Amino acid sequence: MSDERLRALWQVLLPGSSLFAVAIVGLLLGSYWQYVIAIALGAAVVGGALAMLVGYARCITLATGAMLAIGAYGAALPVVHLGAPFLAALIFATILGALAGLTLAIPGVRFRSHNLAMVTFVFQAVVIIVLRESKALTGGAEGIHVPPPVIFGFSFSSDAHFLLLCGILFALAMLPIAILLAGPFGKNLRAIAANENAARAFGIDVRRYLIAAFTWSSAVIAFAGAVDAPRFRIIDPDSYGLITSIFTLTYPIIGGMGSIWGGLIGGGILRLFPELLRPLADYIELVLCVLVVATLTFFPDGLASAVLMLRRRGPHKPLAEGAARRDSRITKAAPLSSATLQPNEAANRAGENPVLAIERVSRSYGALRAVDGVSLAVERGALHGLMGPNGAGKTTLFNLVSGFASPESGRVMLGGTLLDDIPIERRITLGITRTFQHAAVFQRLSCLDNVVIGLGRNTVTDGTRRSLAAALDADSSRAEREAGYAALEAVGLAQRAPDAAGALSLGDQRRLEIARAIVSRPRIVLLDEPVSGVSAEEANRLHALLLSINRELGIAMLVIEHNIGFLVSLCQSISVMSEGKIIAEGVGPAMVDDPRVRRVYFGEHETTG
Amino acid sequence: MLAEFVMNVIGGLKIGAIYSLAALGIVVIYKATRIVNFAHGAFVLAGAYATYGVVEALGAGYWPAYVLVPLATGLLAAVVEFAILRPIRRADIFALITSTIFIGIGLSEFYRLIQNTEMLGVPNPVSGRPIFLGDVIITKEQIWVFAGALLSALIGVVIFGYAPLGRGLRAVAANPRGAVLCGYSIDSMNAMAWFLGGALAGLAGVFAAPSQGVSPELAISMITAGFVAAVIGGFDSLRGALFGGFILGVAQTLAAAYISSAMANAVSFLLLFAVLMWRPEGLFPEAKIRDV
Repeated sequence: MSDERLRALWQVLLPGSSLFAVAIVGLLLGSYWQYVIAIALGAAVVGGALAMLVGYARCITLATGAMLAIGAYGAALPVVHLGAPFLAALIFATILGALAGLTLAIPGVRFRSHNLAMVTFVFQAVVIIVLRESKALTGGAEGIHVPPPVIFGFSFSSDAHFLLLCGILFALAMLPIAILLAGPFGKNLRAIAANENAARAFGIDVRRYLIAAFTWSSAVIAFAGAVDAPRFRIIDPDSYGLITSIFTLTYPIIGGMGSIWGGLIGGGILRLFPELLRPLADYIELVLCVLVVATLTFFPDGLASAVLMLRRRGPHKPLAEGAARRDSRITKAAPLSSATLQPNEAANRAGENPVLAIERVSRSYGALRAVDGVSLAVERGALHGLMGPNGAGKTTLFNLVSGFASPESGRVMLGGTLLDDIPIERRITLGITRTFQHAAVFQRLSCLDNVVIGLGRNTVTDGTRRSLAAALDADSSRAEREAGYAALEAVGLAQRAPDAAGALSLGDQRRLEIARAIVSRPRIVLLDEPVSGVSAEEANRLHALLLSINRELGIAMLVIEHNIGFLVSLCQSISVMSEGKIIAEGVGPAMVDDPRVRRVYFGEHETTG
Repeated sequence: MLAEFVMNVIGGLKIGAIYSLAALGIVVIYKATRIVNFAHGAFVLAGAYATYGVVEALGAGYWPAYVLVPLATGLLAAVVEFAILRPIRRADIFALITSTIFIGIGLSEFYRLIQNTEMLGVPNPVSGRPIFLGDVIITKEQIWVFAGALLSALIGVVIFGYAPLGRGLRAVAANPRGAVLCGYSIDSMNAMAWFLGGALAGLAGVFAAPSQGVSPELAISMITAGFVAAVIGGFDSLRGALFGGFILGVAQTLAAAYISSAMANAVSFLLLFAVLMWRPEGLFPEAKIRDV
């Protein structure tokens, strides 16, 4: 037990400790190397911070230079003008960086990709203009002299002392990033990057997460800027310009997108280039550009990841963990009810009936009445089918229930709670989850991580707290993993727990989606075409699986499916939609023979056949 | 006062026409391939540099430049698409956009390495006495840039919006699989879109070179202005890009004249921000079609 606890702790301490170790090694070298290593460590921290924003959340930011400048000036100005102590100025600068990140992100995260890049670019340009124009305060374009840091009367003016200081401070700075990225916070960011809709359906508030990512990474970048500034002796706005922003972006890209190490190693090594390759200084930028484009083309996960991948060919840890579990409880779907699935308080007070009541709901897109006055009730613990030809409005109805669209009229009740004003992200806590028509697993996350996200409790606060718990390997985080394994076992995927979800077959991805949807023990699951695109045998197995989940956990299901045989044999009651309306409702086999249904499917008239 | 104001507006329209051309190229590439080309500023720089080559180095005058420069930058853009972007076409939008950012920086750096001077000057294509309309003075260069850039932009609009080639480009953009079934080749349509966009960037370079000079700064200022103009116009609209360029050019010139020269950039940022916040679909959006 304590072994695992140490491992969890070590995982989040290692990035910072390695920085510290490099600093210690640097102390053995000459003063030029100490200078170079101090600079490289600063870049490694920037790379680590960008791993969160660029690598995990896949946001393009062109404001890194501005954040470095805010840190550098934020720490230097209080020291120069007010004689503030260095540590106080450092803390001030870090807070300033966090606030700057927040200010940039609140309007910024409304956008993605190119518009986000442009908003950060504007922020970058404005910060530099302000620094250049406020001559009285910042010395304008000529810059300002920054004295060496003084802490408790000791001046860190020599290269060796400064390097030591960098080692300590940067190791500390890396800690929060490492904790967040290793835990649920980082996984939720990657879930957002993989599929925003699926992330939202499981309680991840995309905008708040991105704002948090911007704030954390900006704070750490500003911290690095503040620590590094005294080493440059004179800081001026142009050293923190757009070019700096663009080239810091190379750290996580070339280093590797999927882990904090990519950013750290990328930053540490790439920042050395201009120092070590002085004779080629003119060509550095061009070389970096070629490197980035080549990396994106040939190693989309980055060079560090490519190297790590080679190393990981050996037996690796999570797999071994999975294998151990396989031995300890070789059971099929049986342990579901006894498993340590997270108790859902909503499920406990599920006395109300029906569990889901859709009342005269309508929604149009332009002139098209996609859903037109639909009423539908799903009894507690029932299996309810929804069929109808393409374009009948089935998926729109799902979107209205799960919150991806809002009804223009009518209302949706979940066991007595009105859903209308409840955002998508909170609906999972009320006991409603869904799967998607196109299997929407988080491709790069492991199957276990996918299912753990399905537990909900993914608000930014919860994600942060759970990341801390994971770093300390607290009982709560172990319980989450147990629940995740239990759900994976229930769907027959326990052995794939450590594998990337994207590596599964389509049928297995459907299973994983089901595991993710039931792990929180919702009151009702919306299944959007659970067997589309899978083989007949796989459809039969999924049929048995859904039945057993329904029986053992009492989870109600509303199922859309074009495979009518599957739907009729699975569901006790079936509603048939056509052109936005429910045209027939009843028990399965009767529905197939219903003339109204035959008409919408086959165009048959009552007189024929 | 009034005359001064009118002259400022005319000056703004001249700059705006160049912005329109730059924005138009960005929008054409975006509409056809869904890639926002951050290397577009570098294409304009390449166009301006090629203009310098034709006009100054070869001494061939301006007429060959109108033909050779857009051909050259169009080819450059098509090569970028073919050699770099095509292999990663299936990557996510992050990888594609980052690639264009670094392609742009790389091209600018390459230019800086081969041409180590501060700024190359290109002579004006037209000279002679300005035209007086009452107190309003209009230079022939202004007329040349405005008329020439506008004409080029309109040709671009006609090709993309009405010619058979444009139909193919739009079909591939709207529904790649459907377009393939109708006999269009996605590969060649993508290459054509980049060629067309690159050619428009080259023309922007021809018209920008005399007044702005040739330097890596040109790449930055053109990608910024082109992007802002495209956003103002709705990013999806050729007509919008044209108007966006003029709005930006006039706003910048007026701000520089009546507030301070430092405000020229601030105005473009303000415009960008205001449009993104309050009207992200732009001031001139195309008719909305729902994605099903």
